[in-house]
Amino acid sequence: MNWLILGAPLVSAVLITIGLYKNKIASVSVSIAACAVSFTSALIVFFSGEYWGYSEYLWFQVGDLKVEIGAMHDDLARLMLLMATGVALLIHIFAYGYMKEDEALSRFFAKLSLFTFSVLGIVMANNLVMMFIFWVLVGLSSYLLIGFWFQRPAAAEASKKVFIINRLGDFGFLLGILGVWMLWDSIDFLTLKSAIKTNPNSTDTFGLTLVAIGLFCGCVSKSAQFPLHIWLPDATEGPTPVSALIHAATMVVAGVYMLCRVFFILELSENALLVIAIVGTVTALGAALIALQQNDIKRILAYSTLSQLGYMVAAVGMAASAEAMFHLTTHAFYMALLFLGAGSVIYGIHHEQDIWKMGGLCKKMPITFWTFVVATLALTGFPGLAGFYSKEAILSSAYHDHPIIFGVLLFTAGLTAFYMTRLVVVAFLGKEKSGVVSHARESSWYMTIPLIILSIFSVIGGWSINHLGLEDFLHVHQHEEGTISVIAMLIGVFVIGTVLAFVLYNNRESEPFDIPMVSPLFKNKFYSDEIYKLTFVKGHQMLATGLSWFDRWIIDGLIVRGLSVISNISGEALRLIQGGNLQAYIIFFVFGVAFIGFFLFRYAL
Amino acid sequence: MAYFTDITLNHYVALSGMLFMLGLVAVITRKNSIIILMGLAMMLNAANLALVAFARFHPEGALNAHMMVFFIITVAAAEVAVGLALIVALFRKRQTVDVTQLTELKF
Amino acid sequence: MNFMLQFLLITPVLACLAIIIGAPAKRTALFSSLIGLISTVALAWGFDAEAEAFQFITKIPVAEHQDLFTLHFHLGIDGMSLAMLLLTSVVTLSAVCISPEDIKRGKLFYICLLLVSLGAVGAFVSLDLFFLYAFHAVALIPTFLLIGIWGTHDRKFAATQMTIYLMAGSLVLLAGLLAFYFYLPEPTFDLVEIQEMLQGDSFTAEQQSVIYPLLLIGFGILIALFPFHSWAPRGYATSPAACVMLHAGVLKQFGFYGLIRLAVPYLPDGIAQYLPLLLVLLLCNLIYIGFLTLTQKDLNLMLAFSSVMHMGYLFLGLAGMNAVSINGMVLLMVAHGLSTALLFGLAAEIRERAGTLHFAELGGMASKAPWLAFLFIAGGMASMGLPGLGNFAGEVMIYFGAWKGAEHHPILYIVIILAAWGLVISAIYMLRAIKTVCYGSLSDSLRETEDFKDFAQAFPFLLLLAGLLLTGLCPWILSNWMKPVLVGLGLE
Repeated sequence: MNWLILGAPLVSAVLITIGLYKNKIASVSVSIAACAVSFTSALIVFFSGEYWGYSEYLWFQVGDLKVEIGAMHDDLARLMLLMATGVALLIHIFAYGYMKEDEALSRFFAKLSLFTFSVLGIVMANNLVMMFIFWVLVGLSSYLLIGFWFQRPAAAEASKKVFIINRLGDFGFLLGILGVWMLWDSIDFLTLKSAIKTNPNSTDTFGLTLVAIGLFCGCVSKSAQFPLHIWLPDATEGPTPVSALIHAATMVVAGVYMLCRVFFILELSENALLVIAIVGTVTALGAALIALQQNDIKRILAYSTLSQLGYMVAAVGMAASAEAMFHLTTHAFYMALLFLGAGSVIYGIHHEQDIWKMGGLCKKMPITFWTFVVATLALTGFPGLAGFYSKEAILSSAYHDHPIIFGVLLFTAGLTAFYMTRLVVVAFLGKEKSGVVSHARESSWYMTIPLIILSIFSVIGGWSINHLGLEDFLHVHQHEEGTISVIAMLIGVFVIGTVLAFVLYNNRESEPFDIPMVSPLFKNKFYSDEIYKLTFVKGHQMLATGLSWFDRWIIDGLIVRGLSVISNISGEALRLIQGGNLQAYIIFFVFGVAFIGFFLFRYAL
Repeated sequence: MAYFTDITLNHYVALSGMLFMLGLVAVITRKNSIIILMGLAMMLNAANLALVAFARFHPEGALNAHMMVFFIITVAAAEVAVGLALIVALFRKRQTVDVTQLTELKF
Repeated sequence: MNFMLQFLLITPVLACLAIIIGAPAKRTALFSSLIGLISTVALAWGFDAEAEAFQFITKIPVAEHQDLFTLHFHLGIDGMSLAMLLLTSVVTLSAVCISPEDIKRGKLFYICLLLVSLGAVGAFVSLDLFFLYAFHAVALIPTFLLIGIWGTHDRKFAATQMTIYLMAGSLVLLAGLLAFYFYLPEPTFDLVEIQEMLQGDSFTAEQQSVIYPLLLIGFGILIALFPFHSWAPRGYATSPAACVMLHAGVLKQFGFYGLIRLAVPYLPDGIAQYLPLLLVLLLCNLIYIGFLTLTQKDLNLMLAFSSVMHMGYLFLGLAGMNAVSINGMVLLMVAHGLSTALLFGLAAEIRERAGTLHFAELGGMASKAPWLAFLFIAGGMASMGLPGLGNFAGEVMIYFGAWKGAEHHPILYIVIILAAWGLVISAIYMLRAIKTVCYGSLSDSLRETEDFKDFAQAFPFLLLLAGLLLTGLCPWILSNWMKPVLVGLGLE
């Protein structure tokens, strides 16, 4: 089963690359079939119960370092496998509809398969190095996918930036892994778990905190947490199904998944957990604020994803990893649905992404509209839909111990309701705001079927997971006294946000708000791109220029050329002795002999 | 005869050294390359003299030095032949045998 | 099978003779290197990974003066030499493959190539320090000719500078080897005898502190250790593709090969004593050279700097001084050789098509020549250390090994953390190169570009890529071969 799940997408990617790419239909079918195989196997694995520690392939073994490619079927992995393969399958089908006319369709599906392969590798990983391997591969495949339209300079630049920021996270993650290896002499999750049970090693708190933060660094870049969140909006440069795959079900949640996976290490350090919680909360709030003033439909969704990821990370930081996983799962459904819906819209109106040029789409694209509304309600926390359950779970866990974080997250929930309603109202309701809308038609069934399926899950996802026999794992804490008030507050902010946005934005032709100082701040993402450019990019550039100057003039100039100049000068000086006068040579020779002879007799004999 | 037996190794070596120095001075100071060649021959013969003298005073009367002397004489003859030929060739080309004029071979 | 090693050495010599007599130069060279590859693979097939001793031994006396000087032409291989041999034969074959048939003074060109390869092979199979050194010198002179005659702009300066550096390095190295030789209880150049002799009592700490710095600087200059690096970028950027593939890909690894052979088992105190110096220098290699790489505006120069930068990882492996890190070193030597050769070879292809390698004049190659771009991206990813390709496996082992080694020298922790920043730096410059060369809108220089016409043209690059995949997916092959070697080095 493990080989099937992992192997199918890989085989598909390889096959398409080495030969199948010439035949588009064959490539697409192979890729979709591979994804279906993975999904079916994941289903079987899901229902066949827990099993730990398969080791399938010994990568290498040197000394006491043994790295395997293995698999782990605990509840966490099984749930994530099912979710990732399922959503990926739907996105594959949708992508065929969306990308049908693209010339490089085969290449796209090869990359899609590679991406699926990498993500599934992270999910199945039973040791840290294997996780790191696929971690990096996910970075690679997202790079390839975002840069799919590489002829566009913007896409090329965005993909590069995404990869570099991912490398930053790899840097921290690698150091974290090394730290884990140092503390417990193992990289295998099972061994680690038992090692920590017997020897918590809690004396070295500083080292522990550093290790935990190193691991968290990986999550910060992959899940686009503050301050490395800047890549996520750039990722929308890729085709829309890619955005869905990256933002919703797979790549960004890999970071959260990893946090849950290594939670037994993180929880050893209070300080690290606090850092994680704060970073998550800041991300949740900041992204929601930025989303208020965005006009590009995909970017709004991207920031919304960010905000939800902040929720999950904050939940992990509050030692509520089960709640985080729960939110991750529900989020995967409705966020994939939102991105695919946006894709359907963009496809329908010929690649226009500005919401102020849409409007009135509800009649032209009814299926897209209704599924989109369902997803929005699920995201914003409409009682009974998926997002409501998971948000409530996270908020409940914050309610008692972390009042400040609770407040911020609750406020964020209100903001979410506000900007999502704004999106729906402006893009789908009201009058047609530009000519592009008039030609819009509902998309083909390749695209609508996945939308419908996903909307079903968005409705029942929260409820069903709560009743699917995973209670042991998703033992969502029931804070009895708190729950009712939390539910009430959640519903309250949902209603306020939605109604406010509806009233403010209904029948508007353009953005009604332009608050000085604040609006530009949100619009420009708190100038985080500029800050990134100023610190990271400029810093590297300046250092590089300075060192280059040093190398050119000091090392290569002063020292190397200096040596050669000295040799030249001394040569020039010494050649004056070589006047060509035979008798002068003889005198030198005689004096030389006398000199040597003197020392020979004086000292040697 | 007793007069001759008073001559010790030192006398020979001193004579040889004098001869050698005379040859060396000739080589260094004279400009005529034929004279320089003669100076060289003188130095070689000084060495020969020293070798023979050493052999004469060797307790076991070894003949190694004699062999070497013959060798040197042969080489010296060859050297003079080649050297004179070179000088003649040079003279034909440059109309001079003055070594201070022959300074092309430098740098 | 014992004749195999001589066979490996004789084939290129015979091929050179054939070329002098008048055989078609490229075909003969191609044939010879193909035979080389096949016989090396056969060698790997017949290789016993379990055996602790050297295999395929040949010992021919050259000079036997009792009590004075004994010299044997002693050949043999273990797992490490086998890996290097495979690297050499693969890179040689692809280097010959990509060289143009109608190059000026073709005979001399191919003879030089074969001689460089012969020198590398000889150095890796010699079990006698004298011949190890001599074979390396055999490779030096043809390198000088290759750059001096067939290089691009500024070739004379580059060739002279490079040769002076390498000769100076060889000189220091010779001093080190002689010190090694004379400090032995019974001076000998024979590695097997040395191994037996030093089993019980090694050199004293004072002796080691004399020999090791000489070896480190000597080999270090050959490897372009900071601050002796300035020959490498200029030399590599101007040299013809085949030469730089062989030199950057294979010959440079000779330095590390020598250090592993001599310094790791016999000079551990020396390594420990000079560790701070080594650490500073390797950080300079990684970070300082890494930053220099960022500023390059020419693809070839960037690749050259990048190759120098990656030497830092290998030195980090040396600093780790344990089984994991040394194994990682050998793996990375092979992988780095393959990936460097791949990238330099592709750069030559691009130059042939575009006529320039300036980033400003390149762009959009992927839309015109997808396979070329694919291979270029694959090479870049290998060099960045992406999993699935050999460099990643090597780097992982080196990081883990060095981290383990840091238990004895805590300062290593800091060095590793700084060194890991190399991950980011190499990503920045490689991705920038890929972006400017392959992505974006099509540049004027590439408007007429064609992709590989047939399989034969792409073959050398696919061969190198296959090697990278093999090392990346199955590093256990090498670590199996290395196990007895590591035991022999006293690390396991």
